[in-house]
Amino acid sequence: MVDSKQSVTVKERIQGFVGNQTALLILVLFILSGVFTALSGGSFLSTSVGSTILTDWGSYILLAVAETIVVISGGIDLSVGATLSLSTVTAGWVLVNGLHLDASITGPAAWPYLLLALLVAVLTGLAVGAINAVLINIFKIVPFIATLATFGAAAGMAIIVSGGMPLQGPNDFGLINPLRIPGIDPKIFDTGLFSPLIILMALVTVVVGLFLHKARFGLYTFAIGSNTFAARAAGISVARHTSKIYLLAGALSGVAGFYAYVRLGGGSPSSGTGMELYAIAATVIGGASLMGGVGRMWGTVIGTLILITVQSGLLMIGVATDWKQIVVAVLIAGAVAVQTLQKKNGAR
Amino acid sequence: MTGKVIYEVKDVSKRYGSVVALDGASLRLHAGEVVGLVGDNGAGKSTLVKVLSGAHDPDGGHIYLDGEEVRWHSPRQALEAGIETLYQESGLAPHLTVSQNVFLGREKFVKGFLGKLGFLARKTMEDEAHRDLEAVGIAVPASNRSVSQLSGGQRQAVAIGRAVAWARKVIILDEPTNHLGARQAGEVLEVIKAAKKKGLGVIFISHTLPHVLEVTDRIVVLRLGKIVKDAPTAHFNGDTLVGMITGTITTLAADKE
Ligand SMILES: Nc1ncnc2c1ncn2[C@@H]1O[C@H](COP(=O)(O)OP(=O)(O)OP(=O)(O)O)[C@@H](O)[C@H]1O
Ligand SMILES: [Mg+2]
Repeated sequence: MVDSKQSVTVKERIQGFVGNQTALLILVLFILSGVFTALSGGSFLSTSVGSTILTDWGSYILLAVAETIVVISGGIDLSVGATLSLSTVTAGWVLVNGLHLDASITGPAAWPYLLLALLVAVLTGLAVGAINAVLINIFKIVPFIATLATFGAAAGMAIIVSGGMPLQGPNDFGLINPLRIPGIDPKIFDTGLFSPLIILMALVTVVVGLFLHKARFGLYTFAIGSNTFAARAAGISVARHTSKIYLLAGALSGVAGFYAYVRLGGGSPSSGTGMELYAIAATVIGGASLMGGVGRMWGTVIGTLILITVQSGLLMIGVATDWKQIVVAVLIAGAVAVQTLQKKNGAR
Repeated sequence: MTGKVIYEVKDVSKRYGSVVALDGASLRLHAGEVVGLVGDNGAGKSTLVKVLSGAHDPDGGHIYLDGEEVRWHSPRQALEAGIETLYQESGLAPHLTVSQNVFLGREKFVKGFLGKLGFLARKTMEDEAHRDLEAVGIAVPASNRSVSQLSGGQRQAVAIGRAVAWARKVIILDEPTNHLGARQAGEVLEVIKAAKKKGLGVIFISHTLPHVLEVTDRIVVLRLGKIVKDAPTAHFNGDTLVGMITGTITTLAADKE
């Protein structure tokens, strides 16, 4: 609002640029890709690597989307990864042990069963979300502890239901393989980056993003995370809205469980293990504040891409996978440091 | 000058654990009347405000709106009944914009199917919020700015503007002149007078006693959760008001008549 011309110091310039976080994130992504391309002798830029990165992105993105909404509301959900495991396993259980089907059903013949798997996975996710909502809003347990409890319970249940083994069932791997449009030379217009299921994950992300940034659902989410007292005073039913948020997080984890089912050809009890850390990391790297009230879906989408790029890049240049966790930890710390710098700059 | 009783509490009590914040307080507000609520720090003013606004369910007592007993289970019910409150602690969400705060809980939606899904008419709300705040006329900030970027006075102006814009029966203002400069504080007093003219009942809380003496019709003095005096403003002067608040005097000259 003040339009007086003041000399801008270099430090202020840097802080101003850092304030535009989406630009910064895209820049980081480009730099990372460049570095890995150079280190890997050019192979990092190939379509097959791009497609692998996007397939991984599909595994993580919905958990990150769920986490973003929860974090903006001022909460945290530690149970998303375990919910993914439980829902992918229950989907597998219904098809394999319930309907006595096996992996011999493939291609489009598997589609009706996959639809059932999606339904079962989402219902399972909703059930975990409902338990979180009850623990938080009725028993007034803080989200950290409530979702830590459901995290443990869901992870245990996933092992019990599956017997500790993957449940291989009907599947169509075509849904997860790169899509190529017949008749179009992949060299001219290579659609091989995307699989049908990736496109579905992206669509879900866009729709949830629109509800977060353009609709009342998101407005209330930001309001509660920003100032719960103000939200309540404005007539918002805070308990009802946060319940919706945890239910949505559960449902999204369920869809992610379905994605894992298709990707692995069945329900595997360990498919979500440790993924809550990635979801939280992507959210924070994307610019959301763990204090609530701040966050952007775009940021989370790119934050997830950054995480995956770093992982795949490290793998390609021969860094052992054991380093993954450490790198994620460094990225979280770095993101929080950037946020602190932003706050000093007064940016949102 | 003033109309019928619109809002009344009888004998309300509220305790926080072992602290008795309100001890059998009663208060009556007429349409077109400004009641000043005064008392020392911790006297229970804000607690009474929260009982009146539906933010607190009192431990005991009765609330009447337009002569009918009501019981608020949430602030939403009081808001829907036409009672607006400016809280002493920030009632604004700092990460939201000015217009988002003004319309919070009362959003406008785009037309058609998307509106049914809850998609917001952002531009409409920004324009209307700007109009509402301009009508109130205190330190109007741009509608699309984040509240966290506003000065304390601008925030206060947004909160007052919101209350005035939405109130249909009662406005409760808990220290509205906080953070305001002398000129802006004067403008708040004008806002109160305008609300009174519109026939609203106003409850005005302030530690700035000249303001209270200037703008109110009646003054209610709270001490340690109890109402120790409820008399027309004309019966007080600066000294007797201070005496009443601190407890050094217990009766007014006018009481003996
Ligand atoms: N949330 C709370 N929890 C516990 N005690 C509280 C709470 N809010 C207020 N109190 C106590 O209740 C009493 C009345 O507080 P209240 O805020 O109503 O006073 P007040 O008259 O508004 O004071 P001030 O002029 O300082 O705003 C005080 O003793 C205070 O310490
Ligand atoms: Mg107070």
